[in-house]
Amino acid sequence: MPENAKEAAPRAGGRAWWRVAGSKVWYFFNSLKLTLFVLITLAIVSIFGTVVEQNAPVEDYLRSYGEGWTKAILYLHVNDMYHSYWFTALLAMLALNIIVCTFERFPPKWKGLLNHKSEKFDSKLIEKFTNHQTFSVAASPDAVKERVIAAFRKKRYGIISSGGGGEWKLYAWRGRIGRLGSDVTHISLLLILLGAIVGSFKGYKDFRAILVGEDVSVPNAEFKLRLDKFWIDYYDSGQIKQYNSLLTVMDNGKEVMQKQIWVNEPLYYKGIRFYQSSYGTAWNKVEEAQVALKLKNRDNPGDPVTVKWEELKAMPGSPYSVKLVNYSADFAYDEKTNTVFSKSAEANNPAVQLEIYNNGKLVATPWLFIKYPGIFPAIPNSDTDIVFMGFKGIMYSGLSINKDPGTNIVWAGTIVMGIGFILAFFVYHRRVWITVRNSGKSSEVKLGGMINKNNFVFEKELKDIVEAISASKGE
Amino acid sequence: MILSLVFFTFSFAFYFITTVLYLGHWIFKKKWLGQTATAFAFVALMSTTMVLIARAGESGHAPFSNLYESMVLFIWATNAGYLLMEFKHKFKAIGAVVMGIESIAMLAASMLPYRFKSVEPLNPALQNKWHWMMDLLKPWGFEKYAIGWLDFHVFTTFVGYAGFAISFGLSFIYLVKNWTEQRGGRSIMDAFPEARTIDELSYRAIAWGFPFLAVGIVSGAVWANYAWGSYWSWDPKETWSLITWFIYAAYLHARVTRGWRGRRAAYLSIAGFLAVIFLYWGVSFVLPGLHAYAS
Repeated sequence: MPENAKEAAPRAGGRAWWRVAGSKVWYFFNSLKLTLFVLITLAIVSIFGTVVEQNAPVEDYLRSYGEGWTKAILYLHVNDMYHSYWFTALLAMLALNIIVCTFERFPPKWKGLLNHKSEKFDSKLIEKFTNHQTFSVAASPDAVKERVIAAFRKKRYGIISSGGGGEWKLYAWRGRIGRLGSDVTHISLLLILLGAIVGSFKGYKDFRAILVGEDVSVPNAEFKLRLDKFWIDYYDSGQIKQYNSLLTVMDNGKEVMQKQIWVNEPLYYKGIRFYQSSYGTAWNKVEEAQVALKLKNRDNPGDPVTVKWEELKAMPGSPYSVKLVNYSADFAYDEKTNTVFSKSAEANNPAVQLEIYNNGKLVATPWLFIKYPGIFPAIPNSDTDIVFMGFKGIMYSGLSINKDPGTNIVWAGTIVMGIGFILAFFVYHRRVWITVRNSGKSSEVKLGGMINKNNFVFEKELKDIVEAISASKGE
Repeated sequence: MILSLVFFTFSFAFYFITTVLYLGHWIFKKKWLGQTATAFAFVALMSTTMVLIARAGESGHAPFSNLYESMVLFIWATNAGYLLMEFKHKFKAIGAVVMGIESIAMLAASMLPYRFKSVEPLNPALQNKWHWMMDLLKPWGFEKYAIGWLDFHVFTTFVGYAGFAISFGLSFIYLVKNWTEQRGGRSIMDAFPEARTIDELSYRAIAWGFPFLAVGIVSGAVWANYAWGSYWSWDPKETWSLITWFIYAAYLHARVTRGWRGRRAAYLSIAGFLAVIFLYWGVSFVLPGLHAYAS
């Protein structure tokens, strides 16, 4: 033996360092202690992320925790904990742990389940089980053997026997597949994880606000989307019931489908989903505006005239016609770039820009304000002014756009998970070893076995089986 | 509102009576007391069922949408789970503890301020029905009774909570029973099965709760992805559900493979249920989000 050891030593030492390291890493991950450690650690650290506000501005942390703690929070990424490198590392450890354990345990288990039949065994084994019984039946061993087989078959066990000449050995089993439940469940977790990873690398998220009647091209796709209508449903009580958008998909210039979407009911086309996520009134366009002529020496303007977006409209009783070309919900002027913009999406200071024509000739392009009528004269060198009286806004619908090629993998994972749970928690693997032996006028039956979980079921089942075997034929 | 409230009041009384009867059975060991207790537990279950049905009729949707309604669902599931266990294993004394938990839950639900109890229509984010089910029910004109992700998600989650609640009760019984067994002699705990059996029962309750919580979490994620385009956003409810799930996952792994049974298993089960309580009530009151029933 020592010689053998000497021979073996250089070989072990000669193994490439990466093989040694690899097997060390492998055995590190093939450990249930690691599983428990990671699970408990994840449970504890996850709490911090729900206590410390996530992704808040640094000032908030300073105010709540002071400088020292804020430094610690930022250093350890507790402000965005669930995406921090160390939290991700913990999750990755759990995943590796699952993978290695499955690789290590599944093949031998599978082999064991396939070649499980052990009808040749040492009969002393039977009494070692917690669940074991010895009893005698007044019948010949062969008859009793048949009864044993019938009793186990009735309980949907598989059973085989060997022996003869007054001594039989039998082995019965049921629910082998339940053993695979844990592996199936673990694989399902990996599938779900894989689906999420595929989704986050291959998919994308985006957002578009579409005005009613407009179309937008979908990012990273060949087709366009048009919003035909947006509306809100209300309950009788006045609470909002649902936000709805009617969308048309236009592929290659053709309308290929129309669908009403709402929160919880996305549109799906060519692998991309469109979700109803927000809505509002447009800040740069209106459907129509009311404007009116006003003589500069009068206080009250004339009857308002409704002007549609970008349509030329004659102002009755004057040589002027107007065209509505621009709108700003919250008017602001950038002096540096000489442009008009909207400070917000709210109609805080609504303004429209008109093109004013005198007998077909463009004479002015003023901005008019509802809140400040006549602040700037609309038409230079004229005793007539035009004022902005009111408008009808256009709704926009905010759509979240999401392409997630991992969804199907996740779906498959959830189905596999359901199967895994049923196998793991509700299918029990039972194995029973039985001997039937001639003892004078009657036969002695010994049986004992085990179940991988739920001993209650097993105890009751064995009791029924023993009763069925013991029952006299007359009954 | 009236009908469900009437049934709620009756249920409250029934749970209280059931608890007293089970306690009586435990202490005086009279068989008839135990049988009456079981009968009352069943009456309480029926009455709780009626609360849910009446509530569904009043609100026009499955009664799973606020703290009060979900408490009734929790109480219902716990009772149903307990009765199944009693039917299978015939240990009645355990009823005193489980029905005690039920009575406390009933008290908590009844003490909720009015705004958590009122019948509310579903907000846009929660309205979801399965198309295939609507199509299936359409020929009979029953498509408004179709259920959807909300119902499935909440129901499975609460079956999970119920399993954990029962296991929590059993874990306490285990700790006391184990202590009296070690001391030896006669004790008040003799009405309970031996500690080893209680430990096994506690494990069985978690073996029901764990997959249901998992299905609840996953169905929530799948729904969120279908409805809003992301599986998981680490909102406090999601995170706490995961924390709870991790604790029970640790329980199962430790038990199956490292032989953590008995006392340590009981402590883990208690820790798990404390997490459930925070997940359910704590998060609802303390932290905002879609799941905040209290907002």
